[in-house]
Amino acid sequence: MAASNPPTAGATGRATPSGASAGRPAVGLVLGVDDATPLEFWVAVAPGQTLQLDDVVALERRLPDGATVEIYGLVTQIRARHEGAHFQSDVFLIADGTLPAQVSEAALVQPTRFEPEILLPPLPGTPVRLAEASQRDTALSFDTVERRLPAGLSRADEPVYLDLDFIDGTKGAHINISGISGVATKTSYATFLLYSMFTSGALGADAANTRALIFNVKGEDLLFLDHANRLVDDDQAARYRALGLTPGPFRDVGILAPPRKGDLNATPATGSRKTGVAPFFWTVADFCHQRLLPFLFADAEDERQQYTIVVQSVTAQLAQLEATEDGAVRFDGRLIRTFPALVDALEDRLSPTDPDEPPDPRWTGRAVGSGTVNAFIRRLASAKRHVEHLIRADIAKAQAHALDLDRHQVTVVDIHGLHDRAKRFVVGVVLRQAFEAKEASGSALPLQFVVLDELNKYAPRDSSSPIKEILLDVAERGRSLGIVLVGAQQTASEVERRVVANSAIRIVGRLDPAEARRDEYGFLPAVARQRSTILKPGSMYLAQPRLPVPLLVEFPFPSWATRPAEAVRGGGARSVDSAGATDDVDLDTVDGNGAGPPADDPFAGLTS
Amino acid sequence: MSAGPAMRFAVDTWAPDYGTSREEQLQEASRPVDVEVEVLPDRWVPITPDPAVRPAGAITFVDGVRRIDARIWIGEPDGFDRPGVCATVAAGAVRCLPGRATIESVLVERALFSASPVATDLDVGAAGRYLLKPTPIASDEALYLAVHNHMMSVEERLSDELEEPGLVVYDGRLGPRNGPESAGYVKSQHVQYLESTDLQAVIGALEPGQRTPLFHIGGELPNWSWYLRLPGPRSHSMSGIVRVELPGLGDVSDAVERADLLSRTLPRFASESHKDARAPQNLYPIAGLERELRRRLGDARLLDRALRQRAADSAGHAAVSAARSAAG
Repeated sequence: MAASNPPTAGATGRATPSGASAGRPAVGLVLGVDDATPLEFWVAVAPGQTLQLDDVVALERRLPDGATVEIYGLVTQIRARHEGAHFQSDVFLIADGTLPAQVSEAALVQPTRFEPEILLPPLPGTPVRLAEASQRDTALSFDTVERRLPAGLSRADEPVYLDLDFIDGTKGAHINISGISGVATKTSYATFLLYSMFTSGALGADAANTRALIFNVKGEDLLFLDHANRLVDDDQAARYRALGLTPGPFRDVGILAPPRKGDLNATPATGSRKTGVAPFFWTVADFCHQRLLPFLFADAEDERQQYTIVVQSVTAQLAQLEATEDGAVRFDGRLIRTFPALVDALEDRLSPTDPDEPPDPRWTGRAVGSGTVNAFIRRLASAKRHVEHLIRADIAKAQAHALDLDRHQVTVVDIHGLHDRAKRFVVGVVLRQAFEAKEASGSALPLQFVVLDELNKYAPRDSSSPIKEILLDVAERGRSLGIVLVGAQQTASEVERRVVANSAIRIVGRLDPAEARRDEYGFLPAVARQRSTILKPGSMYLAQPRLPVPLLVEFPFPSWATRPAEAVRGGGARSVDSAGATDDVDLDTVDGNGAGPPADDPFAGLTS
Repeated sequence: MSAGPAMRFAVDTWAPDYGTSREEQLQEASRPVDVEVEVLPDRWVPITPDPAVRPAGAITFVDGVRRIDARIWIGEPDGFDRPGVCATVAAGAVRCLPGRATIESVLVERALFSASPVATDLDVGAAGRYLLKPTPIASDEALYLAVHNHMMSVEERLSDELEEPGLVVYDGRLGPRNGPESAGYVKSQHVQYLESTDLQAVIGALEPGQRTPLFHIGGELPNWSWYLRLPGPRSHSMSGIVRVELPGLGDVSDAVERADLLSRTLPRFASESHKDARAPQNLYPIAGLERELRRRLGDARLLDRALRQRAADSAGHAAVSAARSAAG
């Protein structure tokens, strides 16, 4: 029929296009029955052509002075309908050959770039072409990125980059990842980004000194980073190479785990990895002098809680105790080597045996009643069994087990087996240590990355705690200090706004449908929100400041093992951990299930 | 833009629809009717077309639409204004194959109908150009008839250009379009061809899918014709009744064969009342084609604006020349 002429450049009476859309046949024309705006417009797809979601397109608009604006955009929605049909049931008549109708397809395009930046709507009738190769880079502003960090592949298997300027603090910092558990998103992607950071060359010479601190909060996925993944086949390897990366394990990894409870030798408590793991804990002297007590109290900064005054007073007093060379402290004439002993001593100090004698106000704070003191003691005592193995001076050379975040390029701190209270304590203390070290160094470079999942636990929206304060410090001042937080959570709506808001890069994996509707994901267009609820494993939406539209990326299967069954025997990078053990996984003692993922889902088996 | 002196005209302030209520009530010259061609009058009963006749696989429907865009008044040297009608007509064909109905071609034409001797083509810029079609008489009736005839001629031109049209059904009377495969499809019955009430009763007795015996309508352009009842709810005796006509040439047995074929083919296309105000007679392909044609006529308000703009320009131009001649 007459309407089926394929569109040509001449169809609009415009001169032959150059630049943005030269050469390729038009896939369609900007249509005129829906408003075309500089923020979005519809393209009628020409007969015999197709556009699909995530396609990148280019078109032009001629200005009155003869200059040309090149407009680039991303297809975010496509619809097809019968024109000439009025009733839903008309489709049967049309299929029967009784009622004439035309199928029309239209794609919604969200502009990603105007070159030069003159924000005009494209004119109806303008031919639209697919942007490929260098044009695609222009469309996605990759051509203006000096330091590109490979961040994954588009669905068309073309590389997608992040601008390092928005990660390392030059123009912005921090990465925030949301997504439900179990679809290989958050930590897998965070580690992939780290791998890309260290091996892509984007960091240049700084890569060697850049450090990453990773908290392993769930499972044991991150305990095998230093072992190559035997499930990475040629296809997956090719995906790494398409991004300019070489698949392999992380090179310089230190793995720290808490000591086993009740074990006087303080052997690390990890399940499947028996070797190459060093224990970490703090001496009683560290605990007192580094003022770690508040981190045992999740709500210690909450002004409404009376006992926080006691916490502050006790912390100040503990800092003045005399330490011994082996990490113990002297307290009221007693030598304190364990946390329970410290709690007992504190109890004696705060609750005098003679009830008529008021407690020492230097320890309790002024005008504090005995009820408040008792509340403090109760809370402290309840923490005892969760952290006693982490605070101790009962083994030889206890000081040697202090955390050294500088020794390895990647330091994994395993806290997955700890009680929530102990997790918060470790995260808070380690973060503060990293933060203070950076503050003291006075230089943003080399960068310190911190990967922390379950941010909702450590920086919840509705309460205050020392850990949250540290995270807020990292989020707000880390950019200038060179600390980059790669935070993750299932639900961004439950995380402190300022932590998420300070992240320049926002990433979304599969979301719960109710969660996807929340304002926290306002950077996702409506269709992307819908799609986020059905994203398949290994796919994420990437929102970065350079692009007004989030991009869908797929990242390759981890080339490092995420569980013992995946580890290449003896193939890991060799490194020496802080306890002097070699790093091979004891593969004969591991309890992996040995089953590889099914071929069609490279991410099967990943848990977070 | 046309060169030479511009035609001076004004667009009537009344909406063009006023005065067009006469529609299709074109006078039917009384024509001789022969009801004895298939069976004798006393044997007239409803006929069920032979079920062995397979409905046509391919059929083309041709239809046209017209719209009065504006009634204008053309200024003449004697100081009087003569009427004119600016109209757009469109004709199209839809080819129905099993599983696929396609609009094959569409012709759209704009024309100015007037008896004024000073009338010229009317160029309205991007909206198009109204080609002058002179009419002998300036009456409203003559102008509207000219619009109708122009539409018929566009339909005819269009059907001449169809490739392998096969069975062609024209919406409305066949008129001069008497190709061997042509049929006319008359939805509304304004003329009583059957004088005898006994014969008229046969129409009322038709069941869906049944037809009357053939009758022959004489005159300058003779036709074979019959009534057919389409499937659908029956609210009165003429519900779903259409009259179909063929060119009145050749042998009656050929005509009977074609009547059976058409009577077997057309009911499939009958529309349902919730989808079409003129159901079931307004066949789906024709309804769909008409919708498309009306769309192709272009936006009436745009044309109206373009015409009024042009009229204002012409008045301004005339005023300037008048002022010049006065000054000279």
